[in-house]
Amino acid sequence: MKKRTLLVCLILVACTALWAGGKAEATAAAGAKANLTVSWWGNQQRNEITQNVIDSFMEANPNVVIDGQFNEWADYWNKLATSAAGNALPDVIQMDYKYINQYETNGLLLDLAPYIKDGTLDLSNIPESVSSVATEGDKVYGMMIATTAPALLYNKNLLDSIGITVKDHMSIDEFITIAREVYKKTGIKTNIDYGDSENYLDYYMRSKGHILYTDGGLGVPSAQEFVPFFRIYEEGIKEGWMVSPSIFVERVLRSVEQDPLVYGSSNDARSWCAFFWANQIPATQKAANAEKFEVGVTNWPSDNHKLSNYLKPSQFMVISSKSKNPREAVQFLNYWLNSETAGSYLLCERGVPVSSKVGEHIAPMLDEINQKVVKYINTVVAPKSSPVNPPSPIAANEASRLLGSLREQVCYGKITAEQAAQQFFTEANKILAK
Amino acid sequence: MQHTTTSPGLSAKKFFYRDDVAGIIFSLPFIIGFFMFIIVPMIMSLGYSLSEYNILSPARFIGLKNYIKIFTDDPLFYKSIAVTFYYALVSVPLRLAFALLVAMMLKQTTKATGLYRAVYYLPSIIGGSVAVSILWKRMFASDGVLNRLLAVIGIQTDFAWLGSTHTAIWVLIILSVWQFGSSMLIFLASLKQIPVTLYEASWVDGAGKWKQFTRITLPLLTPTIFFNLVMQMIHGFLAFTQCYIITQGKPLNSTLFYMVYTYRQSFEYFNAGYAAALAWLMLIIIGLITSLLFLTKRFWVFEGEE
Amino acid sequence: MLQKKNYSAVLYHIIICLFGFVMVYPLAWMIMSSFKESNTIFATANHLIPDKFILDNYRNGWKGFARVGFGTFFKNSFFISTLATAGTIASSAMVAYGFARCEYKGRKILFSLMLVSMMLPAQVLMIPQYLWYQKLGWVGSFRPLIIPYYFATQGFFVYLIYNFIKGVPRDLDEAAVIDGCSKYGIFGRIMLPLTVPALITSGIFSFIWRWDDFLSALLYINSSNMYPVSLALKLFSDPSSSSDYGAMFAMATLSIMPCMIIFIFLQKYLVEGIATTGLKG
Repeated sequence: MKKRTLLVCLILVACTALWAGGKAEATAAAGAKANLTVSWWGNQQRNEITQNVIDSFMEANPNVVIDGQFNEWADYWNKLATSAAGNALPDVIQMDYKYINQYETNGLLLDLAPYIKDGTLDLSNIPESVSSVATEGDKVYGMMIATTAPALLYNKNLLDSIGITVKDHMSIDEFITIAREVYKKTGIKTNIDYGDSENYLDYYMRSKGHILYTDGGLGVPSAQEFVPFFRIYEEGIKEGWMVSPSIFVERVLRSVEQDPLVYGSSNDARSWCAFFWANQIPATQKAANAEKFEVGVTNWPSDNHKLSNYLKPSQFMVISSKSKNPREAVQFLNYWLNSETAGSYLLCERGVPVSSKVGEHIAPMLDEINQKVVKYINTVVAPKSSPVNPPSPIAANEASRLLGSLREQVCYGKITAEQAAQQFFTEANKILAK
Repeated sequence: MQHTTTSPGLSAKKFFYRDDVAGIIFSLPFIIGFFMFIIVPMIMSLGYSLSEYNILSPARFIGLKNYIKIFTDDPLFYKSIAVTFYYALVSVPLRLAFALLVAMMLKQTTKATGLYRAVYYLPSIIGGSVAVSILWKRMFASDGVLNRLLAVIGIQTDFAWLGSTHTAIWVLIILSVWQFGSSMLIFLASLKQIPVTLYEASWVDGAGKWKQFTRITLPLLTPTIFFNLVMQMIHGFLAFTQCYIITQGKPLNSTLFYMVYTYRQSFEYFNAGYAAALAWLMLIIIGLITSLLFLTKRFWVFEGEE
Repeated sequence: MLQKKNYSAVLYHIIICLFGFVMVYPLAWMIMSSFKESNTIFATANHLIPDKFILDNYRNGWKGFARVGFGTFFKNSFFISTLATAGTIASSAMVAYGFARCEYKGRKILFSLMLVSMMLPAQVLMIPQYLWYQKLGWVGSFRPLIIPYYFATQGFFVYLIYNFIKGVPRDLDEAAVIDGCSKYGIFGRIMLPLTVPALITSGIFSFIWRWDDFLSALLYINSSNMYPVSLALKLFSDPSSSSDYGAMFAMATLSIMPCMIIFIFLQKYLVEGIATTGLKG
């Protein structure tokens, strides 16, 4: 009997412990304080920076209490969707171009237009081309918070050593010529945007005047148009200057440190270039420092740069349509965009700030590598570019997986470029039509 | 075997001492737990499987359309089922074999075996973290440890084990087998339950190690072997982490686990209704296989005193 | 005769050690890498021992994220894992005993339900479970990570202990009944002591599984100062910018320690079960 009573007691104690210890989030005392939750994805550095911004906002606005929530990229979307299903989205949400459409079409995002009208959200220092990206008619459903752009990063030391100079606005043929030469002279291969992404295809289609993914189908009129794209890979593998697809299973995809540009124990596991975004330049240079080379920057090859190039929203910030404190949420957003203090914390970690005033303020604070980022965006991309594509429909995710699979098959020599083009055209249209 | 009293005033107590009532009281935690935590989500997910559901908006009933689509319009379904079957049917027996072998070798509790057990169990502890995925990719890379080891014994190769559709699945199988420690632990605990007296008696009768193993150990272990087999089979078919953190299905979908495909449908394509249908289909498959295993039970599992 | 025994003993140890080294190599790699400079880890991947042992990764990693350090994360993990494990062992033992030793209507159905509940995976139950816990008001707290485990919801443990109880001879039960024991008495006085190996094994597994589980924490915990270690570890590898692999390996190494210690401490209780206690009369 004693053992049983002991057991029962233990259970009771445990129950009390966990009921008491089951701390629910701190709910503020009713009254003056407004509670906001802000969510973002990021690693150690970004979390620190963001927390600083949050703290400084709370200092300036003592009536607001902010709970910052952060997670790793893949987990972030998982959690966000689940929270949305339960009507428990955070108030202020960092959002990516890939998903923003999905949240908007399901009515989850707050319309910012009234707050712009009454001045809570001050857009006076933000160019129209930026502030109008996340709009649908009169509704403004999100705000771009940082700018980046497609950037081709390359191993400057390597290219200098074999006498190749890279000029901006290369055509695809010029790019391939360099690729061949690098391979011939050094054995180092080329990696063209292998990350299971559709980014380069998207860019390529822009140069032909098409938008890759539109509601209901591909924005490309025929399968034939895809052939040259797949052929680049087909030829690259045949001629030997394209990295083998097998190395990608051996690496952590999308991790800068594991990109063939900076990592690889033999020449044919390396690439002289990487198809990245401008805001990844600092991380890339840091990894390149261990390899002792300087990272050169230019734009992705295209046959029509004015049409291809674009300023990409690096992230958005949106506000939940069911937020209990929308005004304070918008105030936070406004602070993020316009406050020079916030800007001095954020610098260019997420991308170039969208407010010209903040940009000017932080310019002297930037280190050399970040200045490189800003210079690239402002002098190379901006002058010769056109507006970014509208956000893709959510079915585009499945279509992009298909693209990755077909590209993989071409690289393994299982299908020809023509077959891949045809298959992509038919299947992707079917997927997008759903 | 009922314990009876004759005092009328203790009828309530008598009630609780009845065999069947006691049984229900002991099972109460599960009964409550099942109704509180399991049945509602299960029924909801069954409902989703019959709906079109993109998570961000309420579900819309569409009947069996998802199930029909699975069989008629989804080549990846067949591919992932094939991969998952292969993975489960290969990795589970291998795991159990190693687990039993090592458990037998580490049966005695000595200082040395204590340390060895820890060493063999260590891989199980690390679970499925990002660290493991990096480790595994590193080891099987064309310039990785495995190839260097092969070079040491004279086989020069820079074969990309993860890059070939024939071998990539084996990398995942090896990961699963590497973590056999948990099965080993269960075998160890079971081995301890076999009375030493049985071995002593048989030794007196002149039985050698092998006879002892096949006549005493193995038969008495069959319930545990069965348990491990059923549990590992279920886990094998529901395997997710190894594929998700290491290959994501590559190369060419040769390592696409069924649950990873389901997860993708749910959280990447926002087809949560379709994903639920996929999951319920897998539940039916696992249920059938488990029932089959239970049916074979009477042929090879020693049931003790019953 | 003695020489032969020595040979086989030596051979035994050699084989076990060799194989053991193979088993442990990946982990050794991770632990050694945690002492290397972060950006040289992959470049020197084939050299196990670092040229220079540095502790920077531990310092950097311990700082944690946005001012929540790993001390807090470890505290949370301990809290969750210990409580959940206690509940798991207690409730699973009870339910297992009910299945194994009692006869009542619906027992077979319950047993099957328990097995079936193991066949639906977390990935699919995620959303319905989240919605359900939301209705209960438990989202944002530790409750979904602890309380369900007090209700024998993990069939694996119930089945494991059930198997063990089945291995205990019924003679002992009968002897106890003759001595005037009820079903409850048998459970407390006979079953529990005799199934200690199963309970220990369950305890080890449960602790480690709870420790490594990040999915529940991801969904149900919102404040970063309530994150367990398993979730925090993932934050080192966000691809948005530089990943600090050194710090991640360092914290992952620390994360294995408690599980290792629990295992080493508890596994010596995997002693002879029935053989030593035996039938006293």
